[in-house]
Amino acid sequence: MSEPVLRTERLTKRFGGLTAVDDLSISLAGGRVHAIIGPNGAGKTTFFNLVTGLLGPDSGRIFFRGRDITGCRPHVISRLGIKRTLQVKSVFPELNVADNLWITRQARHRFLHPFRSAARDPETKLRVEQTLEQIGLADLAARPAGTLSYGDVAMLEIGMALISEPSLLLLDEPTCGMSPAETSRAVAKIRDLARTIDIVIIEHDMDVVFGIADDITVLAQGAILASGSPAAIAGDERVREAYLGRPEDEDFMEEALHA
Amino acid sequence: MTRRSLEIGMAAGAAAFLIAVPWLIPALTDHFWVSVITEILIWSLFAASANLLFGYVGLLSFGQALYFGFGMYGVALGIDHFGLSFWPAFGLGITSAMAMALVSGVFAVRLSWHYFAIITVVFSLIFYFLAVSMKPLTGGDDGINFSLPPVFRMGRTVFSLTDPTFQYFFVLVVVSLCFFLMYRLINSPLGKGFLAIRDNDLRASLIGLNVYVLRLIAFVMAGFLAGVSGALFAFFGRYASASYMFYQVSGEAVVWTIVGGAGTMFGPLVGTTLFIVIREIVSSHWEHHSLIVGLLAILAVIFAPKGIVGLWNGWMIRLDERDAATSAPPRLTLQAKP
Repeated sequence: MSEPVLRTERLTKRFGGLTAVDDLSISLAGGRVHAIIGPNGAGKTTFFNLVTGLLGPDSGRIFFRGRDITGCRPHVISRLGIKRTLQVKSVFPELNVADNLWITRQARHRFLHPFRSAARDPETKLRVEQTLEQIGLADLAARPAGTLSYGDVAMLEIGMALISEPSLLLLDEPTCGMSPAETSRAVAKIRDLARTIDIVIIEHDMDVVFGIADDITVLAQGAILASGSPAAIAGDERVREAYLGRPEDEDFMEEALHA
Repeated sequence: MTRRSLEIGMAAGAAAFLIAVPWLIPALTDHFWVSVITEILIWSLFAASANLLFGYVGLLSFGQALYFGFGMYGVALGIDHFGLSFWPAFGLGITSAMAMALVSGVFAVRLSWHYFAIITVVFSLIFYFLAVSMKPLTGGDDGINFSLPPVFRMGRTVFSLTDPTFQYFFVLVVVSLCFFLMYRLINSPLGKGFLAIRDNDLRASLIGLNVYVLRLIAFVMAGFLAGVSGALFAFFGRYASASYMFYQVSGEAVVWTIVGGAGTMFGPLVGTTLFIVIREIVSSHWEHHSLIVGLLAILAVIFAPKGIVGLWNGWMIRLDERDAATSAPPRLTLQAKP
């Protein structure tokens, strides 16, 4: 196998007395959808924050396609091709939907022209229109993003990830708060994306996880509890223990076992 | 009437009025008001610099007077100390304002919200007190006076700002040019980057925008606008004074911007016009005219958070919607049968 897409070496992040990510060494191969699951406080989002440069690790290193990105600033990491969505949906609320996509596309460039008209850029305009079609928001293009429904904002976030042509996409609970119909639309979109982009997804919805993941890593208290194929994870006794007290997920584990 | 034709009509009316001012105003009232309008134009550019930061990048600066003051002193010292002619002195005023904005911006734009507001005040206070104490150079609160060099010569004719009509048009052209540049900026890729940072700086950094550098660029551009207005004001008053660097002057620009409409192109112009006209009319009868300023600011914040221009835009959008509703083809509607 070639160079892993994302690799960490003994990554540690502490918040005061709490160790959110604890000596984590993880290696994610390319061409697959990785899911990271684990109980609340397992360090999943902190892991994303470390990878995208929003937080600096206390120790350890992070490599993206063999390149050391430890301590790089968020916009530098973003320009290398790592894009992410946030757990709490995050767009530009006062810009309209099309402009949200427009600036996301433009931000790939190092230089933003100060005086040329933004409207005269056929290449970007075309890409924005295509993306609007792809995420099904063409009718809402002129609406301020802050006035969209929660599910539409989530789709817009996926669209923003899409139009920036990432090589690695980190999705933090993309279907959280979506209706069942929106969830299946988003899952279809993610599957579609996974054909060309490496994806790491944090998700609590086990239907979604087992529906799209090729590999699953289970985190608990900032460390890897188990990792492997969905079937192996579903049968893992330690994983079931970690989820004790969360009957919903446990029921699902039962179902997955008997399936 | 549609929104577009209404707006074009208003823009044409405003342009015609501004061009006719030197003849229209003396005919209607007093020559004094020509100089008031000149002053309004200069101060609206100063308010535009606060608006660029607050309305388009989301940085509330209470320190723009510092760059206004540098623009003033660049011109005054350039002419009085270094014996520069008109244009080099103008250039010195603008570049020193931008250089100062770069130096303080390097520190200030690392911070956001109240921390940013505080550091801009601190910078402006430091240099205010420096300017007051360096009396031999700056003249302190009394300021320094200088005599105007000619703007340019054409054959034997000398154009100088001592001619009020030429001065008015000079200011009008420079201010219009700056507003045009700002318009281009706001509608450019960089301008959209500014808006993205204003809306959500975390997301902006995650899509790959260098938030720090973009904020710094905006800060220096705002320094440019404040510097041009300060230089113009020095030419207009033929003097420079440390008192214009006080943070109260910065605060006025913020109030004018908010009442006129932050984040709108002409909000600062509307706000500045309103307050200077009120000041000129009321101050001769009543010394507490700033009470009116305070009252209007409070009313604007409560009832028109996007300012006067924001209110206007809201009406225009409703007008648009009504037009769309009436011009749309008739649709089948459910009606209760009698």
